[in-house]
Amino acid sequence: MTDVHRRFLQLLMTHGVLEEWDVRRLQKHCYRVHDRTAAVEELEDFINNINSVLESLYIEIKKGATEDDGRPVYALVNLATTSVSKMASDFAENELDLFRKALELIIDSETGFASSTNILNLVDQLKGKKMRKKEAEQVLQKFVQNKWLIEKEGEFTLHSRAILEMEQYIRETYPDAVKICNICHSLLIQGQSCETCGIRMHLPCVAKYFQSNSEPRCPHCNDYWPHEIPEVFDPEKEREAGTSRATKRSLRSRQH
Amino acid sequence: MLQKPESGALPIPQAEGEKDGDRDGETQALTASQNEVPSPFLQESPKEDLGARKEEGATESALTPKGSRTLAAKALARRRAYRRLDRTVAELVQFLLVKDKKKSPITRSEMVKYVIGDLKDLFPEIIARAAEHLRYVFGFELKQFGRKHHTYILVNKFKPLEEEEEVEEEDLGGDGPRLGLLIMILGLIYMKGNSARETQVWEMLRRLGVRPSKYHFLFGYPKRLIMEDFVQQRYLNYRQVPHTNPPECEFSWGPRSNLEISKMKVLGFVAKLHKKEPQHWPVQYREALADEADRARAKARAEASMRARARARARATDRAGIYPW
Repeated sequence: MTDVHRRFLQLLMTHGVLEEWDVRRLQKHCYRVHDRTAAVEELEDFINNINSVLESLYIEIKKGATEDDGRPVYALVNLATTSVSKMASDFAENELDLFRKALELIIDSETGFASSTNILNLVDQLKGKKMRKKEAEQVLQKFVQNKWLIEKEGEFTLHSRAILEMEQYIRETYPDAVKICNICHSLLIQGQSCETCGIRMHLPCVAKYFQSNSEPRCPHCNDYWPHEIPEVFDPEKEREAGTSRATKRSLRSRQH
Repeated sequence: MLQKPESGALPIPQAEGEKDGDRDGETQALTASQNEVPSPFLQESPKEDLGARKEEGATESALTPKGSRTLAAKALARRRAYRRLDRTVAELVQFLLVKDKKKSPITRSEMVKYVIGDLKDLFPEIIARAAEHLRYVFGFELKQFGRKHHTYILVNKFKPLEEEEEVEEEDLGGDGPRLGLLIMILGLIYMKGNSARETQVWEMLRRLGVRPSKYHFLFGYPKRLIMEDFVQQRYLNYRQVPHTNPPECEFSWGPRSNLEISKMKVLGFVAKLHKKEPQHWPVQYREALADEADRARAKARAEASMRARARARARATDRAGIYPW
């Protein structure tokens, strides 16, 4: 465990969740600051080494993917299943309850999104101090800023950070309502579903599974897969896209 | 033959046995394992010394079937208690990291309330181990803020970055711009003689295109960032100026600013902004020099006493054998 690893951990923690390309930049930055001469270790090994030290603290650096386009992301997560624990010290009791209500609506929904209106209508049922709708709107924005929720056109879904952090908690707390991807068997919030047999798949899982398949069929019931097949996420294409950093950042900040 | 304390980590629950004979000792150990009550910890060394002779009697019973069951149950209780201690230390580390992210100081009573619970008598050991993890794994020093108030903060133990490194790091995420705004305010405060009126701060920001209640794509809501976040995080002090009518308020450096940055650094920043040398402002330069000298002296003193304490603790913990590494 050297200062390279420590700075990496500190910065990863500061951001909560980072996309893979940012993580690679971060790793290189840490080497530049603390150990210019050393060769930059392969990211996977680098992270495994850190995780072996983190084990005794019941935390780990976990890798996941964004549900809408399959970008790999990394976050520092709790291994012990304590409910919404990382949020617990940041938010008041009624704010946490608002998050729980939003979480339930999101999990129960068909699309993985809960509308702002529906969430705000539950404001009267919150535990703790009474919260007005105006206030609740700001709390929802706070969740977005802290990367627990994503907002798209007035609707909210879980940020990849929340999915990484809370998957275990969600599966244990809502075992009946929870949706699972047929391909990767992880928690599914957004995805596509077969209209015949109802199985679901993450968009990036669909992309990978049906890659270069001209006649996509449901892996479970073999019926035609009725949805548009998305593109597989390609980090090389992403960089060549030539979008200026400014627009990229504003794009990212809307999605994440 | 005598059962000596196991490297002192956990006083042997057999000390309980001396109370009312074996049966009670067994029940107590079993109860301990069932309830995960950390009673082993609360049996401190003095009893071991007293019980030395009585332990001989207890040792004999270890050879009987009932005795070995007692030993096994007690060993189980010990392991469970040990695991519980580990867990609590890990939770405290996480708690401190999360709290520190908000930059608000953490009090001992908060730690007891949310994490430590009924292990609060072991607070010194738990916090010492947590501090060690924070230092070794994350590179943070756990510093006590005020001895009387039992508040703590985490301070980065890294050396400050070179300028290009800092730019690179800011680029990686969102914290940079906010701290840049803070430094502008700290600079204004310093150049105005260590306090600046609220109106002056907003005037400066207005010239930068930042308005109090207008959402800014880098800073969010500036008024909330400055008046609430920075003040709560102890970067800024905010108070009403006495004898002003209408009442005016002023900002000054908060204690965290004094810990994380220096007058000389801020003066350097202001100087660069104006494309001049720090010496261009002789009053502030002299003050910054004096501040640097103070810091050097305080640092030397702190290092000396830390070394002394570390030596003392190393001796104590070697005996206790608490640290696995």
